[in-house]
Amino acid sequence: MTGRTAIYNARLLDPASGLDTNGGILIENGLITDIGPQVSKTTAADVKIDAKGKALAPGLIDLRVKTGEPGAENKETLETAGEAAAAGGVTTFIVMPDTEPTLDSVALVDFIKRRADSVAKVKVHPTGGLTLGLEGAKMSEIGLIKQAGAVFFTNGDKPVEDAGVLRRAMSYAASFDALVASRPDTPALSKNTVMNAGAFAARLGLRGAPPEAEWIALERDLMLAETTGVRLLADCISTERSLAAVERAREAGVKVSCSVAAYSLFFNELDVGDYLTYCKVQPPFRVESDRMALIDGLKRGAIDTVVSAHDPQPTEDKRLPISDAAYGAVGLETLLPALLSIAIREEIPLLAALKPITSGPADLLGLPQGRLAKGAPADLVLFDPTAPWACDRDDLSSRSKNSPFDGRKLEGKVLRTWVNGATVFERG
Amino acid sequence: MADYRFPHRHLLGIEGLNRLDIETLLELGDRYVELNRSRVKHANTLAGQTLVNLFFENSTRTQGSFEIAGRRLGADVVTMPIATSSVKKGETLIDTAMTLNSMRPDLLVIRHGSSGAVKLLSRKVDCAVVNAGDGTHEHPTQALLDALTIRRRVGDIGGMRIAICGDILHSRVARSNVACLNMLGAEVRLIAPRTLTPPGADDWGAKVFTDMREGLKGCDVVMMLRLQQERMDGAYLPSAREFFHFWGLDEEKLSHAKPGAFVMHPGPMNRGVEIESGIADHKTRSLITEQVEMGVAIRMAVLETLAKNAPETAKAPAPAGAKK
Repeated sequence: MTGRTAIYNARLLDPASGLDTNGGILIENGLITDIGPQVSKTTAADVKIDAKGKALAPGLIDLRVKTGEPGAENKETLETAGEAAAAGGVTTFIVMPDTEPTLDSVALVDFIKRRADSVAKVKVHPTGGLTLGLEGAKMSEIGLIKQAGAVFFTNGDKPVEDAGVLRRAMSYAASFDALVASRPDTPALSKNTVMNAGAFAARLGLRGAPPEAEWIALERDLMLAETTGVRLLADCISTERSLAAVERAREAGVKVSCSVAAYSLFFNELDVGDYLTYCKVQPPFRVESDRMALIDGLKRGAIDTVVSAHDPQPTEDKRLPISDAAYGAVGLETLLPALLSIAIREEIPLLAALKPITSGPADLLGLPQGRLAKGAPADLVLFDPTAPWACDRDDLSSRSKNSPFDGRKLEGKVLRTWVNGATVFERG
Repeated sequence: MADYRFPHRHLLGIEGLNRLDIETLLELGDRYVELNRSRVKHANTLAGQTLVNLFFENSTRTQGSFEIAGRRLGADVVTMPIATSSVKKGETLIDTAMTLNSMRPDLLVIRHGSSGAVKLLSRKVDCAVVNAGDGTHEHPTQALLDALTIRRRVGDIGGMRIAICGDILHSRVARSNVACLNMLGAEVRLIAPRTLTPPGADDWGAKVFTDMREGLKGCDVVMMLRLQQERMDGAYLPSAREFFHFWGLDEEKLSHAKPGAFVMHPGPMNRGVEIESGIADHKTRSLITEQVEMGVAIRMAVLETLAKNAPETAKAPAPAGAKK
């Protein structure tokens, strides 16, 4: 990037500082150099962009993305995920270690970084597998992998079942002040289930995952985080009681944060409806009171980050009887619209809805982006916060089209995305 | 101090000793260093007495060191080959002790893999017992020989900053050393990954560090511990190379300690895992071979001191089932 770019006539939204005002942003050498009402049509710049009153916010940071690279490039590559991210206003995403081979070594973490640098339009950071092969038996080289660039450690969608292994891995990770993410699940209770356990699942004749599967594992994780002193990210919690447990632990001084999948804020178990395999996800859509409790948590700022839980699955793995279908839903392109829709429908201030996808995750990982501030990277998204549209999976940029939002009406559209001041997406 | 009477029947640990006890042993040890360096290394202090070495765990240097110490003092030294003995045939620990006790030894040196086992045996025998290492509990003669080594180099241990690094959790050497060095007035630091730091270690009277460079800052002495192979298989540590990268002693990390800081290791060493060869073999900084020399001297001091404390006439051995 050479020269100066001015984006003017925008509604500036910065959750980090609480800024919500009309004005513009000046970009030089990929960095934000000025911000506020003083940046206008008359500001000296080589490139001037009229935002036409639309919302300009920090680009989104998504802490939970799977691609198929390496090992299952038919699902998604770092390149196609980068396209999808750019189209969704996501300028930084974090890839999970559940690949083939798993991201459990310095070499693979380094590979992801280099590969993403050369092919992905947006910023990509790898996580490190907490245990070798995600088998839950032996810890990986957490110190060396962290030095190689893994931003946190997780066993992905394979929970560490052995509490002794988890305790030692957490304890060891604490030596490096590493963040450990754990999606709370008890396979003994949730294995081979299709949706949330309860009356609706029973009526459909489907095996359900009871919420206890999440509660038991979460309580265990919280206790181990307390005794080991590790920084824990309770990943993709989905129930009222889980959020209460996280808040209680946080109150007691445990270093815990939590993430919620955007779909958990948008759907409830009834959306599985007519055996929709695109709605088969882990954790499953829960009951409406859980969804409302999570939305309340979003309003209160109790949810540190909302993630897309992007998990591309090709048609051949989804177009099956629901019991045989793969888990997972794509989400990079619907993360922002889902949150904007919720903001409108549930009357949540825009800044509160944006925080867990911008400065919230940035602060968890200590990233400089995710904020509109002088000196911060010019990772930006321009969007219309109220434009209505209907999601059609065929229009998604992702290589896999398994979106539960397919056919749903959403409010809020991404118009343009910048990474380090360069345009990476523009709606035609 | 010559008139100070060492008040203990056994040496089971540093725990329970006071500063005067330790200094008494160190001073006597000092004298034996001189004897050991002379041509005729013989004293007759233990003439006519029987020393039995009972090693339930394999050991080369500690067992050899006690044997030499006993012989130089003129004792009859017997080392029981436990690995191939009746213990393997199912005899209980207590029965073994009672059997040996009936042979009327004067000194019993015991190493055992279980913490507390040496103390248990000491209650069942009539002779003096020296703990040569019990499980992950104590190894008092190692701590004493380390203190003697440092003292001879720096004069007064008081005020010295001494770091103990590595597998603190499973180390009896670390436990004994923290107690001993604390009592002698040193500032003790423990440096280890969290998985190898015992819970509550910050209450031991030592400051705990995970970052080695930070922990080594200003240290006069760096004591490395042996890392057991089985700790490196992913349970406590991901790998030997990761351990070496973050906690192995190399030139760069050592440069954070005081210039000229001494390096110690209780042996046997894993070169390239916890310590770089160049440092282990360093002519002026490494005290590792000196530690072995001090080991014989301090064990002579311990054996002599305990032997002096023996009651004049021993009772007849009690029957196996008798309560003590």
